Amino acid sequence: MNEDAPDRLREDLAFCGLIAADVSHELRNVLSVIGEYAGLLDDLIGLAEQGKPADYAKLRKLSANIARQVKRGTETMERFSRFAHAADGQTSGFDLAALVENLAALLQGRVSLAGCRLEAELPAQSLPVRGDPFALQHLVFLSIQWVLDSLEKGESVRVKLLPQGPAAVICVSGPAAGGGADRVRQQVAAAAGGCQGTIETAWANGILSLTITLPIH
Amino acid sequence: MDKNKAQVMPNQKVLLVDDEPEFTQVLAQRMQSRGVDVDTATSGHEALEKVKGSSYDAVILDLFMPEMDGIQTLQHLLAESPDLQVILLTAHATLPTCVEAIKLGAMDFLVKPAEIHQLMERIQRAKANKVLLVQKQVEEKIKSILETRWG
Repeated sequence: MNEDAPDRLREDLAFCGLIAADVSHELRNVLSVIGEYAGLLDDLIGLAEQGKPADYAKLRKLSANIARQVKRGTETMERFSRFAHAADGQTSGFDLAALVENLAALLQGRVSLAGCRLEAELPAQSLPVRGDPFALQHLVFLSIQWVLDSLEKGESVRVKLLPQGPAAVICVSGPAAGGGADRVRQQVAAAAGGCQGTIETAWANGILSLTITLPIH
Repeated sequence: MDKNKAQVMPNQKVLLVDDEPEFTQVLAQRMQSRGVDVDTATSGHEALEKVKGSSYDAVILDLFMPEMDGIQTLQHLLAESPDLQVILLTAHATLPTCVEAIKLGAMDFLVKPAEIHQLMERIQRAKANKVLLVQKQVEEKIKSILETRWG
């Protein structure tokens, strides 16, 4: 049995827990807004019961606002579902562009809480690759976290995905004072073992970057 | 009587701080319909600026905000105005964080989504606390004057 397996499992679980917590926070915010709209509706009904004429334009706007929040919550759940299903196991092929786009969207809140921005540059077309989609998600997350840990407030993490010949290249970069967390490098290297590709880390001209290259299927 | 429909509270001035603008807007509207004078801020920095310029009976503060989180904002607010009554309103009620906030000087906390009557009760209590603090300060000042005059 692989001696590192319990640690890897724990790190994978911690990663899932982090994303679940972020999704939970976002959904709680959505429900809070819907709750306040429901309260406002109750207040308006109370006024109508006291004889004030109903303002139908206001009610229609209220209805539209609630529908918009429901859409926001639904989108968050769909993204979380796509994230979760990546753990279903290795597949014969998956769309790398869709996976990175989904992960970047899920991490926007986390990056924003750190006072930074996440900028994703993604191709319009799909990029089919082979491998373990969950491991790749974890790897990209660690890369973003690694760069984020080095940023000052107001700075940006850049995630760029593009096809380069027979390969797809993911580059995660951001301004950094220099150096890097050895432990995170080890985690990144360990997570990279689940992907069929190469991984390089670099720091040059004040930019910290991590490049993952995968063969296109 | 529906407890959410009661509690008209004039002469209360409150600052509502949350980075979710729609939540802030709607909650402010509901509080204003109950007679509360509400200012809003979408960040800790904005909250600090508003507290410097005004006197609030209570500040309702979200725990999780970008750049300056609720705990940092709480510390800065109380440094600026030590008697300020701060009520945390948070979607993330992890007990250690809330205990930390109370130890740092927050008055109370509520978990989102909180019912409006719960919030209004806390605001009423904040106002009462503030009145007591002012009374205490006045008493101490009078005592100090008397002691200076007559030993």
